[in-house]
Amino acid sequence: MPELRKDPIIDRWVIISTERSKRPSDLLVEKTRTRVGFCPLCPGNEDKTPNEVFAVRDGNTPPDTPGWKLRVVPNKFPALITTGDLNKRTEGIYDRMNGLGAHEIIIETPDHYATATTMTVDDFKNIMIAWRQRILAYRQDSRFRYTALFKNYGESAGATLEHPHSQLIALPVVPKRALEEIDGAQAYHSHRDRCVFCDIIDQELTDTRRIAAENSRFLAFEPFASRFPFETCVIPKTHTSSFEDADEAMIDALADIMNTVLKKINTALNSPPYNCMLHSSPFNTDIGPFYHWHIEITPRLTRVAGFEWGTGFYINPTPPEQAAQYLREAQIG
Amino acid sequence: MKKLLFADDEESIRLLYKEEFEELGYEVLLASDGQEALAMFYLHAPDLLVIDIKMPGMDGIELLQRVREQSRQVPVILCTAYGEYRQNLETWASDEYVVKSANLDGLIKRIERLLHT
Repeated sequence: MPELRKDPIIDRWVIISTERSKRPSDLLVEKTRTRVGFCPLCPGNEDKTPNEVFAVRDGNTPPDTPGWKLRVVPNKFPALITTGDLNKRTEGIYDRMNGLGAHEIIIETPDHYATATTMTVDDFKNIMIAWRQRILAYRQDSRFRYTALFKNYGESAGATLEHPHSQLIALPVVPKRALEEIDGAQAYHSHRDRCVFCDIIDQELTDTRRIAAENSRFLAFEPFASRFPFETCVIPKTHTSSFEDADEAMIDALADIMNTVLKKINTALNSPPYNCMLHSSPFNTDIGPFYHWHIEITPRLTRVAGFEWGTGFYINPTPPEQAAQYLREAQIG
Repeated sequence: MKKLLFADDEESIRLLYKEEFEELGYEVLLASDGQEALAMFYLHAPDLLVIDIKMPGMDGIELLQRVREQSRQVPVILCTAYGEYRQNLETWASDEYVVKSANLDGLIKRIERLLHT
């Protein structure tokens, strides 16, 4: 019999199909389009990007020249602008403000064809260091309240270039999805005086059926009420609300678990398109006791359509317990 | 005389470009789709291209890629009626991105700037 499962943080219901559950080979994996041609993110084409704001480089190579291992550049054609103030105003019941924000591209490697399968732990470490550095830069700017950090891999996940990259958007408001999580975590904390994420970690470590991978500092598991097949949550085992406060040991451990989890997903699902999203605390808040940062990875294996848009329900054809087992058993080099 | 190549599938827009930019002293080349624009690019070696993104057949993004395979330096301005392409990193191979408007002042300024740098 199918099950209805409720997410304990945001009370979202999900239908888990337990009878006709889909194995990895049954799931639709749309292959990534490969457009061979000029890539503005490749080494040698630095003049086609805005000037870098951060880079990991070999030796003393000058900025905006080849010799980099990772570069961060602002969006060349930004939808939001970084200068000016918010100028909040109302028009009857409607609110407006100036389109203030920042959009940066983290070019994760010079290798255009690199994937999570070919990247090394050091590559992942560079990415995590860049994410941390750029969030810290925006945290100091009082106009911004939140940074959305995400990666789209594959055309159907929203990537428009195959060259590996992630994106940061600094916002003057906290997004609704983040607020839902924060409100849910706060409500749980006010009832039980504990962090809901810490309780989830404790239960998952005891139960073990939904664990995909772990190391000394991080747990990667398939959430009990996963919306999507192979949806994976990567979370620090000890309580901490802001990703950017991670020290070197945490960054090393995070690079290790991300390397493991993404390689396992690629192995089990034949390199599917996916979205990866950092969930971290908004800036200058006092939600530290009850919020717990984490990374959400959602392979794009099912389509979101009318039912999901209209109801907020999701139908997941692969129970998270089975997905976790497939990932645990996936052999990576 | 500097040569400008405009690729746009709307005839009225092409005529507007021709009228305006010939009056400004440019030699104006017009193409109604990406394939025709690519052929004219090879044949006439324009000093700058203005490319509409949404065109039937070879679209502006593919045309841009094909142009960049031949020349990294020739200035290219992408022109579109849609803001959605701001999220498309393939547009970074161009030098400018402008939203289409009947008022060509912004486009003229960008062309002048790119031809003088």
